[in-house]
Amino acid sequence: MKRPVLSSVALLLALAFPGLAAATDYTVQPAASKLGFSGSFQGETFNGNFDTWTAAIRYDPADLAHAAFDVTVTLASVKTGDSDRDSALPGSDFFDVAKFPTAHFVTTGFRRNGAQVIADGKLTLRGVTKPVSLDVTFQPAAQGATLDVDGVVHRLDFGVGGGEYADTSVIGADVKVTAHLQLTAK
Amino acid sequence: MTLRSTTDRWGAIAKAFHWTIALAILGNGVFGLLMDLSHSPMQKINWLALHKSIGLTVLALALLRLLWRWFDGRPPEEPAPRWQQWSARAVHAFLYALIVAIPLSGWWFNSVTGKPLQWFKQFNLPALVPKDDTLRHFAHGVHEYLFWFLLLVLVAHVGAALKHHVFDNDNVLRRMLPFGRPRPLPDTEGDRR
Repeated sequence: MKRPVLSSVALLLALAFPGLAAATDYTVQPAASKLGFSGSFQGETFNGNFDTWTAAIRYDPADLAHAAFDVTVTLASVKTGDSDRDSALPGSDFFDVAKFPTAHFVTTGFRRNGAQVIADGKLTLRGVTKPVSLDVTFQPAAQGATLDVDGVVHRLDFGVGGGEYADTSVIGADVKVTAHLQLTAK
Repeated sequence: MTLRSTTDRWGAIAKAFHWTIALAILGNGVFGLLMDLSHSPMQKINWLALHKSIGLTVLALALLRLLWRWFDGRPPEEPAPRWQQWSARAVHAFLYALIVAIPLSGWWFNSVTGKPLQWFKQFNLPALVPKDDTLRHFAHGVHEYLFWFLLLVLVAHVGAALKHHVFDNDNVLRRMLPFGRPRPLPDTEGDRR
């Protein structure tokens, strides 16, 4: 999501004080990027990923105040390598893509815990919005940067697999979300 | 009743193996055939998990039983025509093979489908082979038809045991019954007919 006012402020600051850090807007290179997750089923970890998602990334490790992530995920693009699971996940018991086709994560602020940067944000999934925090690892590179994030989503907070599927001795409560983004500066 | 088998009856451990495995494999087989009666996908998941857990238990018991049989031996065969003794041995060999092969084929089928294999939610077991969707249908068939074959062999096994018990009045069944007492041997009591 664009924030014209903030961008203009950042731009003005950058113009007024050359050399002062200013958060950069990045474009995600989809082919080299991955949004994945891992859950557990009957005591076994499984990995999945979403094929379709978009992310607007503004980031500068020296200017966390102006950093922002805004991610939209097309839930029907989920793949976990198991045909039974892949046909169940979009259904009304899990993501319910007919009613809620996308999930949305937007940051509300960034903080440091020692050397670790943490992105606090709000995740909207299946019509429920709850705070979710992600560990952020940003690595500048010649043509842009790589961004790795990971965090934990409690599936039942969002009603993913409610009813009979709420049994966490069968389907684990915690889903670990990991993303690797290949970024180029805009 | 002694733990080990004696010359006139099976021991308590051999009987326990026999009847526990008989009950578990038959119950689990029928349960497996009725799996589609589940009224929701999650119930089917839980039923399947239970079916797999019982099957793994049968496999473990079957292997222990074979070890015990090797160590314990067996009561001598009752007098009978040669062909009956050989048939009995063949039927027993099939039964021993099937109580190992049926759960193993289930494990193989489960591996082919790539599903987890968990024993009563306590621990997981590895896949025997990598996931292979092309084998799914075949592996299911092998697992199911081995059970039908078991039922067929059981007709001979149960039929022969009842024939000995009812028509021959010997100890073949009595010496395997949980609380069965062997009839006095004919040569110590004279002619019983």
